[in-house]
This record gives sequence, C-alpha cells and structure tokens, in this order.
Amino acid sequence: MFYKTALATSVLLLASGIAHADSTYRIGITQNNVGVDSYQTTYERAFVAAAEANGSVDIVVLDAGGDVARQIGQMQDLVQQRMDAIIIWPTDGQAVIPAIRQANNAGIPVVVTNSRIADAGMDFIAAFSGPDNVEQGAYAAEMMCEALEGEGQIVQISGQPGYTTAIERAAGFEERLAELCPDVELMETQPGNWNRERAQRVMEDFLTKYDRIDGVYSGDDNMGVGALNAAKDAGRAGDIVFIGATNFAVGYDAIARGEYYGSIYQSPVDDAEAALQTALDVLAGEEVPKLNFFETPKITAENLEEFDRPVF
Amino acid sequence: MASAEQTNPQLLNGRISRAGILSFLSAQGILVFFLLSMFVFSLFSEQFLSQSNIMTVVRQASIIGIIAVGVTVVIIGGNLDLSVGSMLSFATVLVVDLHDKIGPMNAILVMFAFTLLLGAVNGFLIGLMRLNSLIVTLAMLSVIQGLVLIYSGGQNVDIANQDGTWFAFFGRGYVLGIAVPVLLFGLLALLMQIVMSYTGYGRRIFAVGGNPMASVYSGIRRNWCVFSTYLISAFCVACAALVLGSRVMGSQNNVGQGYELLVLAGIILGGTSLLGGAGSIWKTVIGVLILGFIQNGLLLMGYPYYTQWIVTWVIIILAVWLDLANKRKRLLTTHS
Repeated sequence: MFYKTALATSVLLLASGIAHADSTYRIGITQNNVGVDSYQTTYERAFVAAAEANGSVDIVVLDAGGDVARQIGQMQDLVQQRMDAIIIWPTDGQAVIPAIRQANNAGIPVVVTNSRIADAGMDFIAAFSGPDNVEQGAYAAEMMCEALEGEGQIVQISGQPGYTTAIERAAGFEERLAELCPDVELMETQPGNWNRERAQRVMEDFLTKYDRIDGVYSGDDNMGVGALNAAKDAGRAGDIVFIGATNFAVGYDAIARGEYYGSIYQSPVDDAEAALQTALDVLAGEEVPKLNFFETPKITAENLEEFDRPVF
Repeated sequence: MASAEQTNPQLLNGRISRAGILSFLSAQGILVFFLLSMFVFSLFSEQFLSQSNIMTVVRQASIIGIIAVGVTVVIIGGNLDLSVGSMLSFATVLVVDLHDKIGPMNAILVMFAFTLLLGAVNGFLIGLMRLNSLIVTLAMLSVIQGLVLIYSGGQNVDIANQDGTWFAFFGRGYVLGIAVPVLLFGLLALLMQIVMSYTGYGRRIFAVGGNPMASVYSGIRRNWCVFSTYLISAFCVACAALVLGSRVMGSQNNVGQGYELLVLAGIILGGTSLLGGAGSIWKTVIGVLILGFIQNGLLLMGYPYYTQWIVTWVIIILAVWLDLANKRKRLLTTHS
C-alpha cells in the first residue's frame, strides 16, 4: 500500500511538474492492482515512461488495489478533475460499467485497457486496447494439438474465477481445441488463481487422480511453472506437454531448457504503450476501432531467440 | 475442554460400557470425525487412500500445519494472530530474493531474523503494551503486505538455478522416504506438544490464556509470556516460508494471502477454543489434516473450487456446533 501511495504521489508530483510545460492533454488512468504481480508493475512503469517520452501529455496515475468500489470512486474523481480522457483497467468487467457511463455522460472518452468489460458497457467506451485473450487461448490450443499430434488427454489450470481474462483464455482454448483436434480430451479444469503455489497443489492432485496426463494448459506461465514443478517432483514431467500464456521469465527459461513446450508472448510494455496511443488517437479525433488488439504471438523453442526474455 | 484432556477412567479399567464409549466419542470426537470423513471420501475415489495421495496431502497441508502449530500457542495464550499470512509472504519473498544475492545460508539467517523481528513487534504491542491482539495483528496484516510491496517493488522473485541448490531440500527433499516438509511439521508439532503439556512454560501459557488476572496473582509474568507466544508464531512462519520458498522456487508478493484464515480453520476444526486457555497442538494437527483431506478429496471427486470453500466452512461450523452441543448436552438452546 505504501509503495502504491508513494508511487501515485510521485507521479502526481511529476504530472504537476509537466503541467508547467506546454501540455496538451490530461489523461487519467485507474489500474487494477499494481504490485500484485510483475505484469501490472511493469505495465505501470512502461505507461509512465511512454507518457514522459511523449512530452505532450499530462497523466494522473491511480490504482484501485483490486477493489471495485475504490475503482468506481477513482473514476468519479477523474471525472471531477475534468480529464481529457480516462483509461481504466477494469477490476471487474461488469461492476465498473455505471462509472464508465458517468464519465461518458460527462463527455470524457474512456479507453478500457488490458481486460475487456461486458458487452453492455461497450456503447459507453471510446475504445478497448489490449490483448485478444480469446485468440490467445486459441493459439494455445493450436500449440497443444501440434505438440500432441492430435491425440491425448489433458488438464487445464485456469486463472482467477470470474476474471474476464481467465474466462476468455479458457473459452478460446476449449473452442479451438474441440474444432482442431477432437481427439484431445480435456479431462478437467480447476482454477489456479494466477498463483504458482496454488497451481502446484492443483497439479499434484491431478497427477494423483489421472495416471495418464499428456498435456497441461495453464492460464499463464506463472501457474504453468507451478504445474511443471509438481510434475518434475512426481517424475512425470517428461511425459507431459506444458503450454502456458503470458510468457513470464520463468516460463521463458523453461522453454529454453526444453521442459516447457510453448506460451504466448504478451508484453506489458506493448500493452501500456498501446493503451496510451489509443487514448491519444481518440483525443486527436481519429477514427478508432472499438477493439484494438496488439500482437501476442506464439513462443516456442523454435522462435525463442526472436524474443527478449520477459522482465517479469 | 480441560476435562477432555484427562485420560478417561472408564476406559482404563478394562470394561467398555456404553457410557464409556459415549464419553470417548465426545472427548475424541474430532478424531472419530476425521476417520469417518476419510472413509466417506475413499468410497468415492479409489486413489484417495493410496499411499502416494496421502503423502501428497500431508505434504500440502504441512505449510499450513507448521504455521498452525505456532498460532495454536498464541491462541492458547488468549490472543489471536491474523498477521501470519502477510508474514509468510514477507518471509518467502525475502528468502527467495536473497537466495541468489547472498547465498542460501545467509538468506535463511536474514529471513529468520526479520521474521522474528516482526513477531517481536506483535509481541511488544500485544504483550507489553497490552493492545487488543485482533486489532494489532489485523493492522500488521496490512502493514507487512505493504512492506513486501516496498521491498520487491511489485516484482515476482525467482531462484535462477532451481536444480543446483541445497535450498531445494526444505520443500522438495526426502529423509528416510519422508518428505522434509512433513518431517518439519511433525517435529515442530511434537516439540510444541511436549513444551505445552510437560513444561512449566507451557502451563504458564495455559494459565495466562485461561485466567489472566489469576495468572498474574500467582506470580506469572503475563506480559512476557504473551510476548514469547508471538515469537513462537513468527518462528513457525519462518519455517513455513522455508518450505514454501523451496517448494515453489519463487514467490509472488501475495503468496501468503488467505493463509491466516486457513490456519484458523484448521485450528478451530481441531477444537481449540478461540477464547484461550484450552486446546492442544495435536488437535490442531488433526484439524489441519482434515482440512487438507477435505480439499483434496473434493478435488479428486471433481468438484469445482467454489464447492471446496463452501463444504470446508460448513464442516467447520458443524464441528463448532457439535462441540458446543456436546458441552451443553443439547443440540439447540432455547434460551439465551
């Protein structure tokens, strides 16, 4: 908390410093839960850096700490401060819609970043910018089919229950898997809550329950490495294909060691820069599509060298 | 509670009467419940009672168990400790982060020192300044989580060379075929059970928790007794962090979030009263194991995650109710 407050305060000071310069736009951002994981921390740093590099924006950076009520309050604060645009990383795809609507009614364009909101709110936003999580799930399914040559029994460890990203990644995966290789059977899905220790425990139970597991799909590499830990401990890692999403440094290293088949490369820096650019495009009056996805390619041992090792 | 700890005379003189069985059931209800739930789960899943599954569950439960041993001592002493979850995050992030920077041995020493320091802060505020333990440890829960975020800057920490460090011993090693986490849990539980049952120190903790004023009049240094229970609790958290960090070989900032509730659930399920002055370590051990087996059993049966929480807490409320009903010899109370 102290860290967040300190950071937010310093950014505010920074922002007021820039205000003396010839600034054109004031953009406020309310984030989901900075500090809870490396992705969000890196995102925030990249966002601040991108705004500084741009020079003609003045930013107010807020963080909801994962709390929906606090995020709604922050939205209202940003409306009160008459921002030119507001960027929101929704803590909840449904509950934040009324606050987004208020901003929209006040004439302030809202850009949703990283994680989508429910369809009911799409009319009130100027644009969404972020990864296509459904497509990411589908990519993971393609890698799974490829690695298993179209046949096998697999399990899934999904993200936080109820969180849009987790739902979309699972849905995209399951749908493409059924289309592409119907002979790969998804035996069971349990949530790992984006938590490596939890994923490790779930995988231990899967290993007990199923004598044969050919593949594991995890909602992110952090959980995927937990599953890998469990399989290594049980001496069964060699028989199992591991596929993740959001490539973490630990996942990158595991791919390099040949223990992990593949993942999806999603850079928080690209994510942050795309969000800021989308907001700037909206403010410049350009025609901006409702959904703006940045590239999140597949990463396996074959193309590993094309990517930098993630910083998180 | 205290009478339940005594050996039952009716079972000792060789004759098993109906009253004897009933009083055994009411005294050892939690053990009976444990065996019964194991039996029910084994009907639904053939792997449930397999040796490898039992070892898996006990190993999974040992992190919560190690912490619960320490918190049980705090609770017997008449206080609560809700800060253990954050403290676990703190200790795990610290030991994992320092592992690559100053070597495993130094990392472990620094981690123990700082975790004990946090325990001492709890002990100082609650034992020496006599502040309410619920409020202090609730505050410490947030304060320590903040410290973790300041320390790590929000980044996950990892150990780079996972296979080549002796640090792996604590979470992944085996001694004589027994997983090290289980061994640590067992040894700590045994040690604290002996301390609580057979030493003057243990008796003083019971006295302080049972009747603080009387304990002071009988010459017990109550403040320091309470202070020491928080050191024990912090020490147990540090041991758990050793296991957790080594098992995962990395740490998120919020890795221990929610552990305080799991620990309390195990303790309550075991039958240690939250009012202090009663309870025992071995009951906590059984409570923690029941919790582990329930969660594992439900997962093996294929129930989703949400069900596990509902079932777990329904069972806890049931256990508390039956315990109370047994004490007042009726299921429902008609007057307040």
